[in-house]
Amino acid sequence: MTQDLFWYGCNMTRHGEIIRLSERLMSVLGAPAQPVGGPTTCCGSVKESTPRIAEGMANRTMDRFNESGAARVITWCPSCHSNLDDFMGAARTQRFDHLHLAQAVLERADVLTPLMARRFAARVMVDRHVGNRTGVNEAVPALMRLVPGVTVMDDAYRAPSYMCFGLANVPGALPAHKEKLVAAAREAGADTIVTIFHSCHRELVVLERTHGIRVLNWVHVLAEGLGWDYADEYKAWRNSDDPEAAIGAERIAAAGEDAVRKLAVPELARPR
Amino acid sequence: MVVPHDNWTALREAETARMLAACTRCGECFRVCPMIAHAPAAQGADGSAIVGGVLDLLQGGAGDEASRAWTSACTRSGVCVPACPKAVNPMMMLRLAKFRAQEGGAIPPRDSRDAMARVKTFARLTMTEEEWERWQ
Repeated sequence: MTQDLFWYGCNMTRHGEIIRLSERLMSVLGAPAQPVGGPTTCCGSVKESTPRIAEGMANRTMDRFNESGAARVITWCPSCHSNLDDFMGAARTQRFDHLHLAQAVLERADVLTPLMARRFAARVMVDRHVGNRTGVNEAVPALMRLVPGVTVMDDAYRAPSYMCFGLANVPGALPAHKEKLVAAAREAGADTIVTIFHSCHRELVVLERTHGIRVLNWVHVLAEGLGWDYADEYKAWRNSDDPEAAIGAERIAAAGEDAVRKLAVPELARPR
Repeated sequence: MVVPHDNWTALREAETARMLAACTRCGECFRVCPMIAHAPAAQGADGSAIVGGVLDLLQGGAGDEASRAWTSACTRSGVCVPACPKAVNPMMMLRLAKFRAQEGGAIPPRDSRDAMARVKTFARLTMTEEEWERWQ
């Protein structure tokens, strides 16, 4: 039987360690999934200002998934997931089921629970958005409760949009969310904010620097419980005073100095 | 399984026609929207009028300032979907209106020129060559 696909999307390339951990996670749970993403499997959302281009990109991705023979495409990105629901699967034959990674992992909770070998002390609050339609608002807290030492703090706050990056495009919306989120975390007694998506994680990691509260992705928390090493380099770079120095000259040279300075460093050095 | 539409254009046309027929401009979608707090030009607008502006955008019109501001500020919270008494799916209505408005110039398009180049650059920073090759 053809292996499932783990469709991580495009902007997840900022967080290679999450892809690496997710692939390992699905493998140890006995449901291996091949990561696919980047420009070759775009859902079209980055080009949705020009829907004809977005449609072409999305069709190419649907064809690729259909031709793979995979029974399941396990999603990560909320934009990809909703585009698949709303457009891709409504205008192209879909020969596979799809569900979010958090749900796919939770399906294997009976396998995951005995693997939780390390205690990780944390009182976590999950960054939840009202627009999440992939079941993650329920699945991620349930997964956090499987990690020894983790307490999920109840809170009523739900942010607008379905991800933080959506708010980043509306003046004032993301700063307002950050303040409300931190206030809710403090009120709930949480010492850690857990992000669900990469598109939230990359916007919220600065809270460690600006507000002194720990920010982890839910996959990081599972890795802690499993005793797996990882490094959240994007967070380290983003919270550094000098992102170029934090990345290091050798890695910048290997990745292409011009591209890194033009495309990556300005994002990492933008105001927090 | 039957695919409901031949392509995105057909999907958009069918959905637009359905929405225009179903929407009564009651304004409930506007009333419950959590993003109005971040759309100054839409604040205080009459619900029926602003929805009328969105329907104009949906058909290729220019709308008005308030409807363009609301459409631009939509981040797909989806609170409007269960609030709509006619099952219009206002979240999709605003999304399709934004598509049309960006195509026609009523709302400036998002600048995504460097998006994929940035994706590749970060991939070269956070992944090994073998991983990037295997994960595409």
